Amino acid sequence: MAKPPPCFGLPGRIRNIIHKAVCASVYLFLVAPILVIIPLSFNAEPYFTFTPGMLTFDPEAFSTRWYRDIWDNEQWLRAIRNSFFIGISAAVIATTLGTVAALGLSQASMPYRTAIMAVLLSPMIVPVIITAAGLYFFYSGIGLSQTFPGLILAHATLGAPFVVITVTATLSGFDRSLTRASASMGATPAYTFFHIIAPLIAPGVISGGLFAFIISFDEVVAVLFLSGTEQRTIPRQMWSGIRESISPTILAVATLLILVSVMLLLTLEVLRRRNERMRGIGI
Amino acid sequence: MTTISTSAGMTIDDDGRALKAKFARAERARQIKAAGLVAPLLAFVLITFVVPIGLMMYRSVDDPVAVRAIPRTLELLNHWSPDSAPPEAVFKVLGEELLSARESGDLGKLATRLNYDVPGTRSTLMRTARAMRRGPAEGRSHRDLFETIDPKWRGGEILAGLKSLNSPYTRSYYLAAADLTTNLYGDIVAKPPHQRIYVSLFVKTLWVSLLVTALCILLAYPVAYQMATLPAATANLLMILVLLPFWTSLLVRTTAWIVLLQSNGVLNDLLVATGILGDEGRIQMIYNMFGTVVAMTHILLPFMVLPLYSVMKTIPPNYLRAAESMGAPPARAWLDIYLPLTLPGAGAGSILVFILCIGYYITPELVGGRTGQLISSAIAYHMQSSLNWGLAAALGTLLLVGVLALYWLYNRIAGVDSLRMGG
Amino acid sequence: MTGPAVRFERVQKSYDGETLVVKDLNLSIPHGEFLTLLGPSGSGKSTCLMMLAGFESATGGKIYLNEESINRVPPHKRNIGMVFQNYALFPHKTVAENLAYPLKVRKLGKTDIEAKVARALDRVQLKRFGNRRPAMLSGGQQQRVAVARALIFDPEIVLMDEPLGALDKQLREQMQYEIKDIHENLGVTVVYVTHDQTEALTMSNRIAVFNDGVIQQLAPPLDLYEKPENAFVAGFIGENNQLRGLVKSARGGECVVQLHDGSLVTARCVNVAGAGSATTLSLRPERVEINPPDGKHPNRFEGRVEQLLYLGDHMRIRVSLCGHDDFIVKVPNASMHPGLNAGNSMTFGWAPENCRALEG
Repeated sequence: MAKPPPCFGLPGRIRNIIHKAVCASVYLFLVAPILVIIPLSFNAEPYFTFTPGMLTFDPEAFSTRWYRDIWDNEQWLRAIRNSFFIGISAAVIATTLGTVAALGLSQASMPYRTAIMAVLLSPMIVPVIITAAGLYFFYSGIGLSQTFPGLILAHATLGAPFVVITVTATLSGFDRSLTRASASMGATPAYTFFHIIAPLIAPGVISGGLFAFIISFDEVVAVLFLSGTEQRTIPRQMWSGIRESISPTILAVATLLILVSVMLLLTLEVLRRRNERMRGIGI
Repeated sequence: MTTISTSAGMTIDDDGRALKAKFARAERARQIKAAGLVAPLLAFVLITFVVPIGLMMYRSVDDPVAVRAIPRTLELLNHWSPDSAPPEAVFKVLGEELLSARESGDLGKLATRLNYDVPGTRSTLMRTARAMRRGPAEGRSHRDLFETIDPKWRGGEILAGLKSLNSPYTRSYYLAAADLTTNLYGDIVAKPPHQRIYVSLFVKTLWVSLLVTALCILLAYPVAYQMATLPAATANLLMILVLLPFWTSLLVRTTAWIVLLQSNGVLNDLLVATGILGDEGRIQMIYNMFGTVVAMTHILLPFMVLPLYSVMKTIPPNYLRAAESMGAPPARAWLDIYLPLTLPGAGAGSILVFILCIGYYITPELVGGRTGQLISSAIAYHMQSSLNWGLAAALGTLLLVGVLALYWLYNRIAGVDSLRMGG
Repeated sequence: MTGPAVRFERVQKSYDGETLVVKDLNLSIPHGEFLTLLGPSGSGKSTCLMMLAGFESATGGKIYLNEESINRVPPHKRNIGMVFQNYALFPHKTVAENLAYPLKVRKLGKTDIEAKVARALDRVQLKRFGNRRPAMLSGGQQQRVAVARALIFDPEIVLMDEPLGALDKQLREQMQYEIKDIHENLGVTVVYVTHDQTEALTMSNRIAVFNDGVIQQLAPPLDLYEKPENAFVAGFIGENNQLRGLVKSARGGECVVQLHDGSLVTARCVNVAGAGSATTLSLRPERVEINPPDGKHPNRFEGRVEQLLYLGDHMRIRVSLCGHDDFIVKVPNASMHPGLNAGNSMTFGWAPENCRALEG
């Protein structure tokens, strides 16, 4: 184990404590703002801050009215439906195209690999506002603005790089002698693909798909430019909520979204462990 | 290729060409197979990403309306110098062409376009065209008629403005994006000071991005170091604290900062409750530059922690021990050995954070208020509110060129493969 | 069965279209043989194995299996078993599923598969491990599964690509015996690739020594050690002293060679062109005698003992002799000589038949 970083001239114990304190405050900075939202979403009053009642744990000060608000609000319900519909559709497209491309990219014989990779990953790097602006002009010419297909295609483009990255990473750890072993035992390439390759890269493909989904689920710039009222998603609805500062309903939505991200994080961790366990072969 | 030869020492020179051809054929077959798998996504990205952005860039120089609507006027204006009085024929032809443009529907576009270069002239053109409908002037010169309709025709500005539209391609959007314009004679000059917006906005964007990047390094370094040196189980646990915000919706995180920082927000309440601030002394911490910087740092910090952590994890502690065994004091060893080895991670993380920061829209727009907005807000404004799409495209192209240059740099330093978001 | 199991005919391989990693390879492997391809890394031995398995295509020439060309037969139709360097056990399948895989591919009946898997597990003493995943087995156990899996579909030929490379020394020796046993019991043809000469010498019927894409010598282990045909083989297999010089005269299978310091050595002619040609003398350190009786050997030289290394069962002695200061002599510990101390001068001698004059 390496030593803690030296704060020059200070004895080890003290600099150790300082280092820990600094780290703790960074973790606090990272997590506290998110955690603060959760209790506030149960506020009985329409305020964005803690009421005296909440601080004394008066049960009267808490309520689930903002959650009921979501349930009663047709706009929010539609936004939720839209988000899942667009997110899942975009993720399916991105995962299919991205996985197939990753299979090609991970072959040694792939020509112009670096250049093509750079192009395929660029939607991740180019600011979304530029992509959205480009699509805005493009779609207005071909009648795709303010349509679901237009939005789904845009989100699939933004999500595909994440699939490519995740699946190529999985494939780079894939032991090619496994496919050879399979062939040496008489399996056709197709049989090998479905019985050996597919099950082994499945965790990577699923993670890539989840990435693509969350990218779409969280995306708002393209939605701002390309959607009409029919296609409003959860982030778009939150955007309006923040802009017009209407009600703590957005805190309730935010809490639900935090729940979604925690679940996704756990799923990915499980997949990662599964993947690692599978690779822990023979060494 | 299989020439009969009994010599055991057949070398590549004997039939090197055949060998090469054979090899090339096999290689090509493999390449085609690999490329075939990549082709669908590549085509998809070309259609939904590269082509649209290309069209946007084209739009930043595309300027067809004047050439289409008033070709004969432009022809006449070509021979006119703004120092002299414009010939009567110009007004005559222009009147006719404005009328026909009104009928073909180009008039509005032309007027809007002229208005970008010569502000306040949209109504002049519209009104003039409407007046033309009443028929030609009787006994008066066309010029008189024009000047009666709108006195703005008296100076040469409008005609000079129209004259500068004599090409289907324009540089004026880029000039506008650089706070420049052209004078009557077509020379490039700076805009009047109160109209200069974009250069300072670009500069501000760069400064904010640099500041956020620096803050990210400062905060990420100790954390990444701690995680890299702790046992794996503990490090994984701490990693969750970094990944949770990473996976939390952007809008949620932005909302969180509004809730925390606004003047009736949690932090101000806390400061007032503890008596540090008086109730009327609440600090404005959001809807300004401070809010933008804090929220952006929070959002981009994980992008710095992850590459730093992955680099630090690969540095064996033996290097430090070796340096110390050779007599370097711990601090010296750390500075000489450890720090340089972490630079690739810090470099990759910095470029990534910087790239993401200069193009960010949502957070500055929501928490930046009037002073904390960045260049992306200007692009969105011209896209959606002013509808000056040419200027939006020019600003976007400039931003894109900057980002691509940095992306290229990132590729050189870290390799595109190393882009890995959490997971 | 008549004819060889495998035949390489003028096989070439290039990875880049420029250089050949395998140059004009001709090789016949009879049925039931244990043939080892031995050589340093990059010598082309693994490439040959991969071409035989079908994972690399020959750039030129033909490969025959039972006298039928298999150049255009894809790997999965060759019916060749293979044990991989890292075993290549499928991590997501249990041991039993791994063993059943080739049988399932061949669409055998369920009961048939179960019986065969059970027998295979029994043979490699892994009965209780059928339901485990490979990652839960030790290296040696994984190795056994890999061997069992390559044999379970009764291939005529089994290829092994450095299968023991990842094991520690003791386990490696044990597995050598097990593989040898399996080969003898089943009578399959084995083509084995390794860079470890001891492994090759213990296990093989014949060894093909590879260097630079060419088979340097193809011979049974004993011949390879005792009768190397060129300087590379002599140097690669076991330790030897190489003395360079010019042939003075050659007669009746023996020749006299003048070394660079002028001393004359009588040696057995193996492949030297004749008087006047350059040659390398190859002499095994254990064939050198200390203080041989007068007249026993025509080769008798004074040398100075430079260094003594005690190696348990034998002593390794570095001597300055005939102008070489790295001449090595090995003597068994039992035959200790008085006065064998660093710095002393002593007499060393060897028989001409143990000293081979090779080309070059």
